[in-house]
Amino acid sequence: MIARNMKVWMLSAVMALSVSSYAQDKPNAENGKKLYDANNCGSCHALDKKLVGPALRGVETRHSSEWLVKWVRNNEKFRKVDKDPDAIALYNDNGQAAMNIFENLTPANVNDIIEYIKTAPAPTKTATVVVDGGEKKDDNTTMYILILLVAIFSVILLVLARVQNTLKRVAAEKHPEDFEHHNAPKKGFFEKILPGKWGKMNPTVLTLFTVAILGGVGAYYGYGFAITEVGVQKGYAPKQPIAFSHKLHAGDLKLDCKYCHSTVEESKQASIPALNTCMNCHKGVQLTDKYNGEISPEIKKIYAALDYNPEGKAGEQYGPNPKPIRWVRIHNLPDHAYFNHAQHVKVGRQTCQTCHGAIEKMEVVQQKNTLQMGWCIDCHRNAQVDVANNNYYKALHDKAKKDIASNQGKSKYFAADGKVKLTPAMNGGLECSKCHY
Amino acid sequence: MSNNIKYWKGEDELTKNPSFLAAQRNEFHDDLPLDEVFNEEGVELQANRRDFLKYFGFSVTAVALAACYKTPIRNAVPYLVKPEDVTPGVANYYRSTCGACSTACGIEVKVREGRPIKVDGSVDSPISQGGTCAVGQASILSLYDNERLANPLSNDSEQTDWSALDSEVSAKLKSIVAANGKIALVSGSLHSPSTLKAIEAFKGAYPTTEHVSYDAISYAGILDANAADFGKRVLPTYKFDIAKVIVSFGADFLGTWISPVEFSKGHTINRQPNAEGGMSKHIQFESTLSMTGTNADHRFPMRASQEALYVATLYNYIAVGTGARQIPVPQQGELAGNSIKKTADALLKAKGTSLVISGSNNTEIQQIVNGINMLLGSYGTTIDMVNHSNQYQGSDVKTAEVLAGLKSGSISAVIFYGVNPVYNHSKDWAEAIKKAKVSVSFASSKDETASVCQYVCPDNHYLESWNDSEPRKGLYQFTQPTISNVFNTRQAQVTLLTWANANIAMEKDPFASKGIFSQKLQASPFYNFMRNNWAATLGSDDAFNAALEKGVMAASVSEGGVSYAGNVEALASFVSSNSKATGIDMVLYQPVGVRDGAYGNNPWLQEMPDPVSKVCWDNYVALPKSLAMKLDIAEGDTVNIKVGDVTYNNVPAMIQPGQANETVALALGYGRTAAGKVGGSIEKGYDTVGVNAFAFANNTGNRSFVAKNVDVTKGDENYKLAQTQTHHSIEGRDIVRESTLGAFKKNSKAGNDLPETHIYTIWEKAEYRKDGAPNHLWAMAIDLNSCTGCGSCVVSCSIENNVPVVGRDEIRLRREMHWIRIDRYYAFESAEGAMTKDDEIAKIDASGNFDHWQNVNVLHQPMMCQHCANAPCETVCPVLATTHSSEGLNQMTYNRCIGTKYCGNNCPYKVRRFNWFRYNENDNFDFHFNNPLGKMVINPDVTVRTRGVMEKCSFCVQRVQEGKLKAKRDGKSPNEVIVQTACQRACPSNAIVFGDLHNPESEVSKLYKNERGFSVLEELNVQSSVKYMTKIRNNDSI
Repeated sequence: MIARNMKVWMLSAVMALSVSSYAQDKPNAENGKKLYDANNCGSCHALDKKLVGPALRGVETRHSSEWLVKWVRNNEKFRKVDKDPDAIALYNDNGQAAMNIFENLTPANVNDIIEYIKTAPAPTKTATVVVDGGEKKDDNTTMYILILLVAIFSVILLVLARVQNTLKRVAAEKHPEDFEHHNAPKKGFFEKILPGKWGKMNPTVLTLFTVAILGGVGAYYGYGFAITEVGVQKGYAPKQPIAFSHKLHAGDLKLDCKYCHSTVEESKQASIPALNTCMNCHKGVQLTDKYNGEISPEIKKIYAALDYNPEGKAGEQYGPNPKPIRWVRIHNLPDHAYFNHAQHVKVGRQTCQTCHGAIEKMEVVQQKNTLQMGWCIDCHRNAQVDVANNNYYKALHDKAKKDIASNQGKSKYFAADGKVKLTPAMNGGLECSKCHY
Repeated sequence: MSNNIKYWKGEDELTKNPSFLAAQRNEFHDDLPLDEVFNEEGVELQANRRDFLKYFGFSVTAVALAACYKTPIRNAVPYLVKPEDVTPGVANYYRSTCGACSTACGIEVKVREGRPIKVDGSVDSPISQGGTCAVGQASILSLYDNERLANPLSNDSEQTDWSALDSEVSAKLKSIVAANGKIALVSGSLHSPSTLKAIEAFKGAYPTTEHVSYDAISYAGILDANAADFGKRVLPTYKFDIAKVIVSFGADFLGTWISPVEFSKGHTINRQPNAEGGMSKHIQFESTLSMTGTNADHRFPMRASQEALYVATLYNYIAVGTGARQIPVPQQGELAGNSIKKTADALLKAKGTSLVISGSNNTEIQQIVNGINMLLGSYGTTIDMVNHSNQYQGSDVKTAEVLAGLKSGSISAVIFYGVNPVYNHSKDWAEAIKKAKVSVSFASSKDETASVCQYVCPDNHYLESWNDSEPRKGLYQFTQPTISNVFNTRQAQVTLLTWANANIAMEKDPFASKGIFSQKLQASPFYNFMRNNWAATLGSDDAFNAALEKGVMAASVSEGGVSYAGNVEALASFVSSNSKATGIDMVLYQPVGVRDGAYGNNPWLQEMPDPVSKVCWDNYVALPKSLAMKLDIAEGDTVNIKVGDVTYNNVPAMIQPGQANETVALALGYGRTAAGKVGGSIEKGYDTVGVNAFAFANNTGNRSFVAKNVDVTKGDENYKLAQTQTHHSIEGRDIVRESTLGAFKKNSKAGNDLPETHIYTIWEKAEYRKDGAPNHLWAMAIDLNSCTGCGSCVVSCSIENNVPVVGRDEIRLRREMHWIRIDRYYAFESAEGAMTKDDEIAKIDASGNFDHWQNVNVLHQPMMCQHCANAPCETVCPVLATTHSSEGLNQMTYNRCIGTKYCGNNCPYKVRRFNWFRYNENDNFDFHFNNPLGKMVINPDVTVRTRGVMEKCSFCVQRVQEGKLKAKRDGKSPNEVIVQTACQRACPSNAIVFGDLHNPESEVSKLYKNERGFSVLEELNVQSSVKYMTKIRNNDSI
């Protein structure tokens, strides 16, 4: 499927070159598809379903191609100047929602599009969309089965060992001569495993020694594990109730992060956008072209949450039963740590990526950093306070400049690039109550 | 002048009670109650090796298992449709009007993500002037009280819905009107134009309705006196800001009387001594030591039953001075030394800027006071009868008539709006209400009165309501909701209008057009009604919204005078018949915390120590030392009190310095029987808190809160009051400083010029103090002259910093959690001045004459973490959980703290608090912190501390950080950072100033240069960041 699409795309890319250069004799469906996508026909039309505009399949049978060319290129002129009765009827039939004007399309282009509509494959049944607002817990069944199996096998192993022992004892009682070497003086555990005189040392000392070594090693790794792993959720990428793609929105479409996370410069929270922000675009963008006339299942979840009926009458589209979306929080700081986005983004001029990683490349958002205190502190030690452009730091900046002037390279504010070095740490950024209160 | 006054905090300390001294030696009151925990069968404290291994193994396993606990999934739920003006994480502030009492202070409500979390005074309101009282502060918690009624109730507590109730009640009321039966609407004092109009609409529909105002704490005496003398039954507006000599007869005007925040703000203006010595003089005559009395320059004990004589005597002296005629009263010899004559002279000297007030509810006494003020020319200067107050209008006589009418059956229906007479008027109401055909209460919880009513229509909390008010003539304030209804409640006004079948729709609903998506907003019906009401004055939406935004509409000040028609001489017979004192008097007073008991279910107010006695969670009989000695009563004993046929046995007794001989005092507002889990409820099985002193009030005529011929005997039980006062001892150190105005005029360092002590130090000067620190150096200055001890800061701090309520038992164990406390120091005053030596005091006590106990000087000193530069707590912390910031803050890091308590032990100021429990999840602390609704009041910017860590005042570091961030975001200079701590913001007397010492223009920098400034325990060289201004008393001569 993907491969075939790729071919189509490559072909149409080649064709696109020819579109501008040569007039075409025969309408070309592939070029039509490209134009259909490029002009976002799909945001108002679907092939087999009425959206804002009528369903397009069979349009060539309803109107002549000359009529269609006029309509598509400038339906307003067609209705108002030419006063074409069919055009006026069509306009009225569709709730007087005026279609955009596409004078950029040549008549040949329009015919290409018609050709595409004519030849487009009929819809296959799309999978039913399940709109679930909650998160799904990981399925642990396999794990439980494995644990159960291990437990059963262990029990069997134990029983077998007992049986073997009993058999041996019985056999020894009957035929002691076969088992004589068993009656030789017993060797201690350490004697068995340690060579020569090492094995003859006091077993208590050896035991303590071993425990100390094992304990030490265990503690070392345990401590390491505890401080780097316990409670650290680096890599946490839970499934969200809506499969929102940051890659698509922030990466491909290059939406500014602050368009959705609009409070990042004024509040401690960057805040997950309210659904009315989504609706600014997704009232229109329904990706019906991708889903054969159906609205994208993920966008449908937005509508479901708002109890929005895209086909309802204007003013009555919003129902009475909206249900908020419970996103899964990915970046969780403990309650005793205070973090403020405005301080870091607006004042500290950090990018989102500094902490969140290359979010514009993430299909599913995951925690890229440990969010441990050491990680915060590292940055506070190394980052540069924007002293030059903020009046708040003016006194500090002046002091630093003075210090550099008198102490030159020995000044703690001295930086090789000639700028003033001033990290958050040098301005109290490592003090407890900057974050803990 | 060197300061060697002998101060003491409590009787125990003064008399050197051996058990007190022993307990004092330990930082923490009790040993750990391990024996209690381990005395179950099979578990012994003396664990053997096996037990040790068992517990050890169990603990290790438990910890290991707990560590394996899978991190819970946390959700983030954004708005579906974000309201335009809400930014998650940023607080919004709305102007409104406090509804905690009918004083109606203008307030500013802090709202985070749609929930109000803090109430502070609005600087634009002439009533609050930016301050708040403790009750106003705490009133926000009543919004999140999960014992409020969730639904309307009808017919013996069945839950019902509003429409069923409406049709049932209105049908019944209509039939009553049809039969010409009378309806009584009993409300508190109402001065809201729109509410009064709504009541008029109700009266229109039910013409037999009579509206009666009833105030639990009545000011009918003043109202009736003014009606008689000026023909206007109103309270005047008292202008303490221009009064230079203030004489108060038992009026606690800084604590509870009429409009305490307004009066404190006014009073404090003239309490600043300067080179010219322009400081007001405040003389108090009273029977029990009130908070206002503790702040007086001169205070004289007065038997409450003799007030008429005192006032008349003062009148006569002033009459002599002004050439007016005297009241012919029998001469009783000079009262209170020669003090009344001297007082009269002081008043006459300040004629025109003097003010005499009385807390009595007796019309005749108030008429004499009016006469005094008339002679002194106070009307038009310190007393404004033209722009008069509307705050209290209740009539005791009319209230009694309603009661009589209900008893006789002449009133068929009764509606209670914001009043609880079964509790605070008379028990007779319970039977009387049952006789009515229809009885309705608008109470928001099932209080004493609501319990006996057929219908309860729960009113909104004021933070859920629309309203307006006119606390002073021509001064309008607005109330706007800051949260949608928490429960299925309805504003009382809407209930009345619905029953009146009034049309309360608006022509154009201003909210309808703003319906975004599906959430079509609808204006509250009362908004519509109120908006229509203001259409004439504030026609356009812009004008109305501007008024709402400011919360206040400029007062239209009318000029003019009033004509006095009083005849004081005619009161001669009244005075002579009320001049003899016999037996023991009892004064019933409003405590500063729970006031009249309406907020008895509010744990913050119950836990706020009384400003004078420092007792929480109880009322008690305050005894003078002389009576206590006579009855052989010591701290911890109880007394039986009997007045007429009302007897209370085994009421806790407390020896109150400053209590007049032959008088006892008992606080009102306690003994609620249907308040809830905090204030007590018989129905729900919660113990009542204290006893109901309203039972002793005399309800004939204007209610009298003075009981005569009280029978006091020693009770046979012991009771330990939860008193914070004795928890820390002064150890003979020089902690507070004071002087007199005369001395101050000669030497501005008077009282503060102690000889330099040589300081040994283990510390070097802190690095950040050497080179002028990064950007800020935070510090605080507290003026002991301004601080009245009202406790507003204590409550404000608790709200801001999520300080838990711990309850009576924990306070007895000295485990209160307040980050700020107000230390109260007593000192005896003799004719020669303050007493200074222990043996001197002991000698007088031994003589068997305890008259000197009637008069004490009092100092209030707010005490919180002093943020020492050389902090002793920091050097002893083994885990560096408490460290110093470069901005001068002593930081407490809870997540590092392991609870060794070394810091608390080493703190010379005793301001560190240890978390003994997980108060927010422990149901033994069933106040508000342990339930989801009560948790709504938590400040999201401050950590909720867990068990086992130390905590203390942080100088509101969250506000410091917020203020700095705001400046950084706007590119402002550090000097433009504005930070107010919660205590400072709440203070009604401007006593607390916080700021940046690096900003030479800041108020705190200026105060640091003030010569009255001193640091507590300066000799320890801890370099504290809090400076106190020496108290200056204007008491050289009257």
